[in-house]
Amino acid sequence: MNALRRHRELERIWSSRPGWRGKLTTVNNNDIGLMFVFVATAYFVIGGILAMLIRSQLASPHSAFMGPDVYNQVFTMHGTIMMFLFAIPLFEGLTMHVLPRMLGTRDMAFPRLSAFGLWCYVFGGSILIFALLAGVAPDSGWFMYPPLASTLGSPGVNADFWLIGITFVEISAISAAVEIVTTVLLYRAPGMSLEKLPIFAWYMLVVAVMILTAFPPLILGSILLELERAFGMPFFQVAQGGDSLLWQHLFWIFAHPEVYIIFLPGAAVISTVLPVMARTTLLGYRWVVVATVALGILSFGLWVHHMFTTGLPHMGLAFFSAASTLVAVPTGIQIFAWIGTLWKGRPEMHLPMLWIVAFFATFVLGGLTGVMVAIVPFNWQTHDTYFIVAHFHYVLVGGFVFPMLAGLYYWLPHFTGRKRYFKTGETAFWLVVLGFHGTFLLLHWAGLLGMRRRIDTVEAGSGWELINLLASIGGFAMAIGFALVILDVAVNVAVSTRSRRNPWRAGTLEWAALSPSPSYNMASLPEIRSRYPLYDDPELPARIARGEGYLGEPRDGLRENLAVDISSGRPRCLVIFPTNSVLPIIMAAVTGGLFVGMLIKAYWLVPVSLVGMAVIATWWAWTLGSGEDQDPRPVGNGLVLPLASELKRPPGWWGSLFLLLADVVFMGSLLFGYAFLWTVAPNWPPPAYLKPGLLGPVLVLGGAALSIGGIRLAQRALRHDEKPWPGLLLNFAGLVSLGGAAATVLARTVHDAHAFDATLWVIAGYVIFHVIVAVLMTMFLTLRAVVGYLSSRRIGEANIVGLWSDYAAVVALLGLGAAWLPGAFT
Amino acid sequence: MSDILRISLPLTVWLASFSAVYGLQGIACSQHWAAAGLDVATARVALTAAWIAALAVQVAFVFVLGSPRFASRSLFVRTVSRILAAAGLVTTLWTLFPVVTTSVCI
Amino acid sequence: MLAGCTESLSIVHPAGSAAEVIATLWWVMLIGATAIFLLVTVLLVLSFRRGEQPSGPEADARRERIWIQGFGLAFSLIVLAALTGYGLYVGERLLPRPGPDVVTVRAEGARWQWRFTYDDAPGRTTLGVLHIPARRQVDVQITTVDVIHSFWAPRLGGKLDAIPGHVNVLRIEADTPGDYAGVSAEFNGRGYTGHRFIVRAHDDAGWDAFLRGETL
Repeated sequence: MNALRRHRELERIWSSRPGWRGKLTTVNNNDIGLMFVFVATAYFVIGGILAMLIRSQLASPHSAFMGPDVYNQVFTMHGTIMMFLFAIPLFEGLTMHVLPRMLGTRDMAFPRLSAFGLWCYVFGGSILIFALLAGVAPDSGWFMYPPLASTLGSPGVNADFWLIGITFVEISAISAAVEIVTTVLLYRAPGMSLEKLPIFAWYMLVVAVMILTAFPPLILGSILLELERAFGMPFFQVAQGGDSLLWQHLFWIFAHPEVYIIFLPGAAVISTVLPVMARTTLLGYRWVVVATVALGILSFGLWVHHMFTTGLPHMGLAFFSAASTLVAVPTGIQIFAWIGTLWKGRPEMHLPMLWIVAFFATFVLGGLTGVMVAIVPFNWQTHDTYFIVAHFHYVLVGGFVFPMLAGLYYWLPHFTGRKRYFKTGETAFWLVVLGFHGTFLLLHWAGLLGMRRRIDTVEAGSGWELINLLASIGGFAMAIGFALVILDVAVNVAVSTRSRRNPWRAGTLEWAALSPSPSYNMASLPEIRSRYPLYDDPELPARIARGEGYLGEPRDGLRENLAVDISSGRPRCLVIFPTNSVLPIIMAAVTGGLFVGMLIKAYWLVPVSLVGMAVIATWWAWTLGSGEDQDPRPVGNGLVLPLASELKRPPGWWGSLFLLLADVVFMGSLLFGYAFLWTVAPNWPPPAYLKPGLLGPVLVLGGAALSIGGIRLAQRALRHDEKPWPGLLLNFAGLVSLGGAAATVLARTVHDAHAFDATLWVIAGYVIFHVIVAVLMTMFLTLRAVVGYLSSRRIGEANIVGLWSDYAAVVALLGLGAAWLPGAFT
Repeated sequence: MSDILRISLPLTVWLASFSAVYGLQGIACSQHWAAAGLDVATARVALTAAWIAALAVQVAFVFVLGSPRFASRSLFVRTVSRILAAAGLVTTLWTLFPVVTTSVCI
Repeated sequence: MLAGCTESLSIVHPAGSAAEVIATLWWVMLIGATAIFLLVTVLLVLSFRRGEQPSGPEADARRERIWIQGFGLAFSLIVLAALTGYGLYVGERLLPRPGPDVVTVRAEGARWQWRFTYDDAPGRTTLGVLHIPARRQVDVQITTVDVIHSFWAPRLGGKLDAIPGHVNVLRIEADTPGDYAGVSAEFNGRGYTGHRFIVRAHDDAGWDAFLRGETL
């Protein structure tokens, strides 16, 4: 088969359907990545318009044209859109598009999950934009502190839009994160060991793990606040044993890592693009890996620096101040690694390099003011002033937006296959960068003069009128610059001439694929021997196209890919990927029904949606696997590999494991909240602690034994090619018993009496939710066994169900144990 | 996967011990501590002991990740994990030293 | 007296020892940050003017030692350790430790006013104006009746939040008698921008007069 025939055949197998129907059913990483980027850009424009409204309002004492009610919605939505609807989806889209080719694989790990995440993002974001257009947007600030954001301060529906809409969008972040981790660990070109991973992949691995561990506390907090607003469960109300500080802890445990989740992809782009612009390779690759991992984990120990003024004792503040200064060390290692790389090479001032220089000028300044506000006494003065506003715009715009623009111009020839013709990009650059500094540099000083954030007017005689006027002018210049960037990209994509592949002469694998990328990404998967495969072998693109790598012969119309060993990159199994499907968008719509039901208080929609989701999930999972044992298949170059469905731990098992990581953090946050309220909240102890009694503990202990034992019995039976019915039945009985134990907690407490009862309801509800999930999975497994989809080789599904069943037992033991603990000892 | 664990374990354990010490400080300054008949001096002793325990665990990681039995077969992973173990030790020292230098409950 | 005074809320125009210590900290940090920023800028600019560079593993090892271990690790750790220590030292000095001469007042935040009461003048309440003696350490016990607020008189000290169910104590001090502007510094809704108060520091005689009920 020659290269052209191979290309046509692969394209036929991997492409999406044509037209808008294709967009709705696509599971292809390139399509979905591009859609994420388009939608994120649209949200950026909306957020930018809101910023212009703010700057117009604050330009002078006489320019205020919005009353406080409208202004409060405008600034809240500006922050909310930028932090939730723009930054993460933008780099998710970039990653989905380019990472598979960079890793030398055919697609992301779970294509239908990618699509599901996209549609959750589109639908969830639309809910928020609807609120904005309808004039009922959230208006309590993007961090929504109760009591202001609870029923006391925000009786209307505005806050519910935030809590519900954002939680819906977060599903998208979690699903993308599960995918990115699984893709980086399992799906690479053969021979790509951890040491040879492109540095971009290391960054995205860390970022994805951070998303899995940072988002659950926010999801928990949002659920608690919504439960308080909708059903009176008093988590944050002091009179009934709640505490508004609990929200602040949960929120900032999420939001501090969030800003590093946003910065690290920017750093990933710098680490990738800067060496190419300097005609060399990255200095200190292993140190950059060290710094990235360190930054990722350290960032979880900083959160209280957003709470330095809440009255916590100095020792507590000191821990977080020290951690917040220490985090500048891994940041500094990266900065100096990059400068050292420039010194090592011969930097050329192409447009991506211009944006990188802008990054240095801006982010370093933001990092320096960040270290300043990590110092407690200084923070006591500058917290909630424009000094902070200036600081975070410097680090977010400097550390994320500018690098993303560098990446945009770097990969543009790769996405489009065209060379940039018009030089509008350079003009746009100067407008944006000069406009940005014009806007925000002097605002530091306004903060030091006492200008608070979130005020709706600049009063005459305040002392910061001139600064604000200049800032507004700068803001408009910057906005024009951004508009020009969008125009520049659109025009160049439309009319430029076709260019040669790899105009920057980079060494990473994505440049070996066709530009623009075909749906199948790589015609064959090459054997990798170093970090820069294209420097080793300039002929590589041709050899890949000629099918000289693995999987070069498309067969049976199947979407085939290889999974590798995590450490060494040795190929382990052949994976057959699903094709275009309408299930993801339908699943996203049904999931939306749950959220909309909560929002409009049509609570019957919630169980209906849950049932719908269970049905679709069953159908979704059913399409995988096969009814018979399959022989290992040849994958090219003489190698023969088993199918993924015949591995003890198929990719889906790993995906479940990482999803469970997020789930564990959620549970941990719930137990933390419980411990926090018990320790710190006023009006404890509650009128009565729940006594464990006899029934509950018996049900939970017996249930755990039955379910843990039962699933193992079933797995053992399958391993010996016997029928798993006894084990599955025991597992089912055990799970039901666990659910019963949780039900006793619900029966003996009143959800809105005290924060203690409310917390126990959430714990019991969480246990019941996992029991139901595990029960449904056990029933699914039973059906699969009946129909012949399981065997001693095809045991992966049973192992996946084992994960979830064991988890249900563990959370029941821990959670219900914690619920009964105070009552047992008093 | 074990290579990933070698790389991520020291600082993850730091995060757990950091949170535990912070939690202990919260309990020590709450009504429950006084209700149990304990005072501020005892709190400082308890916090310092927790810090020393956390340091000891980090020192253990530094040795374990370099020892032939537990170290990775890949030189790259060995180097990266040992640097991160050292980082875990420095981080524990740096972020928790206030247990001995700072007022406990004001 | 306050209208038109552009320094009235300024952190860099301190009027009491607490605010002074923080202002000094700011100037020190500004000088340090500027120096570091200039260093990084110079290193960046110079990187564009270099000719052909030595290559190979030895050259790279040397570069790693200079850039990563030297600048990235050693330089960063030394500067940050010094700054962290300085910051914690300053923080310790600002804490509201008990003392014989400390005056205690109470500030209750509400949407959208401040209500002040005085331990030394039981039953006395003022709205919008907090009376304190100059040249003495004052502890402000901060509470709220509804949402989270924050008590902030920048020229006299840092800010501290009013959290429902908690009493937070802030130490402020005014060097000279006079009026000092204060604002609520935690967003609390529609009336946030105008949610202000004044701290009126009296000399000894004036404070006695206030306590006796002779001043409004």
